[in-house]
Amino acid sequence: MVFKAETAGSDDLKAIISAVSTLVDEATFVASAEGITFRGMDPSHVALIDISWPNSAFEKYECDGDIRFGVKIDELGRLIKRVGKKDKIEIGISDDNKLLVTISGTKKYKIRMIESSSSETPLPKVTYDAKMVMDLQNFDRILGDIDVVSEYLTVTTKGSKSVFSGKGDSGEVSLDVKGGDEGVREITASAESTATYSLEYLNPITKAIGSAAEDITCEYSESKPLRLEFKVSNIGRIHFYLAPRVDS
Amino acid sequence: MKFSILSDAFGEMEQTRKRTELTGILVRLFEKTPQENIAKIVYMLQGMLRPGFEGVELGIAEKTAKRAIAKSSGAPASEVDRTYKKEGDLGAAAQKVLQSKTQSTLASQEITVERVYETLLKIAGLSGSRSQDLKVRHISSLLNDADATESKFILKLLLRTLRLGIAENTIMDALAAAYAGSKESRPVLEAAYNVSSDLGRVAETVAALGIDGVAAFDLEVNSPIRPMLADRVKSEADALKKMGVSFSAEYKLDGERVQIHIGGGRVKVFSRSNEEITSYYPDIVENIPPLIDAKEAILEGEAVAMTHDMTEFRPFQELMHRRRKYKVSQAVSEYPISVNFFDLLYVDSQSLLDDPYMARRKRLEKIVKHDGDGFSRCIKRVTVTSEDEISEFMEESVAAGCEGLMLKADDSPYQAGARGSHWLKLKREYKENLGDSLDLVVIGGFFGKGKRTGVYGTLLLATYEPDTDTYSSICKVGTGFSDEDLDRLYQILSPKVMLKRDARIQSGMEPDVWFVPELVIEIVTSEITLSPTHLSAMDAVRKGYGMALRFPKFTGRIREEKAAEDASTSEEVITLYRGQVKTAAGDAD
Repeated sequence: MVFKAETAGSDDLKAIISAVSTLVDEATFVASAEGITFRGMDPSHVALIDISWPNSAFEKYECDGDIRFGVKIDELGRLIKRVGKKDKIEIGISDDNKLLVTISGTKKYKIRMIESSSSETPLPKVTYDAKMVMDLQNFDRILGDIDVVSEYLTVTTKGSKSVFSGKGDSGEVSLDVKGGDEGVREITASAESTATYSLEYLNPITKAIGSAAEDITCEYSESKPLRLEFKVSNIGRIHFYLAPRVDS
Repeated sequence: MKFSILSDAFGEMEQTRKRTELTGILVRLFEKTPQENIAKIVYMLQGMLRPGFEGVELGIAEKTAKRAIAKSSGAPASEVDRTYKKEGDLGAAAQKVLQSKTQSTLASQEITVERVYETLLKIAGLSGSRSQDLKVRHISSLLNDADATESKFILKLLLRTLRLGIAENTIMDALAAAYAGSKESRPVLEAAYNVSSDLGRVAETVAALGIDGVAAFDLEVNSPIRPMLADRVKSEADALKKMGVSFSAEYKLDGERVQIHIGGGRVKVFSRSNEEITSYYPDIVENIPPLIDAKEAILEGEAVAMTHDMTEFRPFQELMHRRRKYKVSQAVSEYPISVNFFDLLYVDSQSLLDDPYMARRKRLEKIVKHDGDGFSRCIKRVTVTSEDEISEFMEESVAAGCEGLMLKADDSPYQAGARGSHWLKLKREYKENLGDSLDLVVIGGFFGKGKRTGVYGTLLLATYEPDTDTYSSICKVGTGFSDEDLDRLYQILSPKVMLKRDARIQSGMEPDVWFVPELVIEIVTSEITLSPTHLSAMDAVRKGYGMALRFPKFTGRIREEKAAEDASTSEEVITLYRGQVKTAAGDAD
């Protein structure tokens, strides 16, 4: 079986690895002729990440079948951190069944693989009433503003306006955003929707993607899971699903 | 198997302290347990995940548990703390707080015994920088799907605060009743447990193959055998009376009893309580195999701290310097040891447990090669036939820096896990009226005042009763402690504090705090008296009276290598009491 994938630089891979590492410690990637995918849930089943990295995103891509490879994400992450921005990274599987990572054609790492999980993670079936598209930087700033007093974020969207709010032992905050504001591309809601999500999950994923993405699309419905779509230049998609907090 | 079956049984067991009722609940639980889960449940009942010698540590810090509770419930940390303070137990606090969960999940999964067990095993295996966060997530994944009662017991398992007061004997009673027809078969299970130190495996086997399967248990290299123990005697005359005309006497060295397993290219060292302590003795691992003339062997010996020129024994405490995680090799060179063998239980595919002591000793002498450096040897042994010969050998042993003598019947088999009269110990202090020394279990503590504020100033101690698996109070002790001792004891004891008295503790006194009966310390006393307060040996000598120690004093020895079940028994105390009555009568003559 042949599997070889070469990237032009290291930014996308870094973003993927750090995004995955916010949720799981062991990750199983699937490579096929179309590209590389990953789907995994954190152990507490509160969040899910769904990545699809099409073959077109690579400089060179070769894969003639379905290959699953499991890695300890920290172990791969330590290596990827050392790679320069412009360095090409080539990924393959060695004859002795290790993950072969070649950097700029000269540095060759062999990383042990772990037993890959064979279970499929289904995606949550939800329709979304509210949608916001904005700069990732802007979204990150909103999270930071709420984080000052609260451990979770409540968002209410009506028409083309969203209100983000939070509340904690130290106080409360509320923040209005509307479509057309600077850095806000679009806000729409087919029905007024309110839901609450934990910042403990939102902050790390947003930071992990960092500057690799420019835009983010947030979609949700009343008290239903949130879906974040990060638009990273080369990568097909990074979807992040997060279960809401509910009043008991 | 639904976890609720197990957590319901835990709940029932919490309601009673009676052993027969506990046994009944366990029998009903076992009857509902599919075979493949028996071992898991038995380990969890023991507060473990795997047999003790495998060293898989169940347990998390309170801080981690609190974070997981807050995460799953959505309650702020301050509320978790407040509820914890009120309930006094994090498991109970979780039950309260989690009644109103606010974090939903993307996919929920049923809580089964298998899932809980596997998750606990995963948590035990996590280490490294991000392990705390991952632990919180794993715990949270269970709490998210569990109901409040299940959550309570999941946390109690993790925090090791289950404390149902179930002893191994009770578990074995229930296993015998559930799978072998009646409690009468317990001795067979006990024998299997004694050679395997793995109650989970015993349980699994009796469930699958019945009592015959368990009867076929034999010892195996790398799986520790529960050690044979010795009764104590007070005088040469008593020893002669118990042993007969001719028997063996060995030096009793002041070291750590070690069980050394050699085989399959590996060396493992186990403590007296069957914990693996190989990492503290790299010198044994390196030096012993070439000194043993056998491919496979299980040997018992005493590891004793030595002076650097390897000519003199040093006290037991010196060995404890090796009990550390880092820089063991430095401790090894600073505190050299010698290994003094006294028994051979297995050699080259042959179990010697049923062979007489003298035959085992002969085999031992054949396979232990003496090295020039004095690192390994067989413990000195002679045959004795009279009081004078014992006394003479005793003087010699004390002069050589020993505690006294071990006396062994030449024709006795190796009785794993049993204390009997085939082996006796005669310590010098019993003899010379320096006072008797006893190894007692710390069951309670009284807060110190003045200089001792912030530590336990006085401890409540107990003897162990093997027949009923209980701990009976015998005295309070507040003297003999250095400031360092008190600090150290506080560190060891404070995690053992319980809200309620353990079901196995019987006490005539109410301390400020109760402890899980686990820690053994050594005490000397000038006299043993009848007591209307304490419950050790209750009614044994006089109706309505137990035994107490007069002027007890801590010797400075925290016997961390001893399990609570190895502590002095009330029977030993009675023997000592009768001995001193006799002496008093003799003096009057």
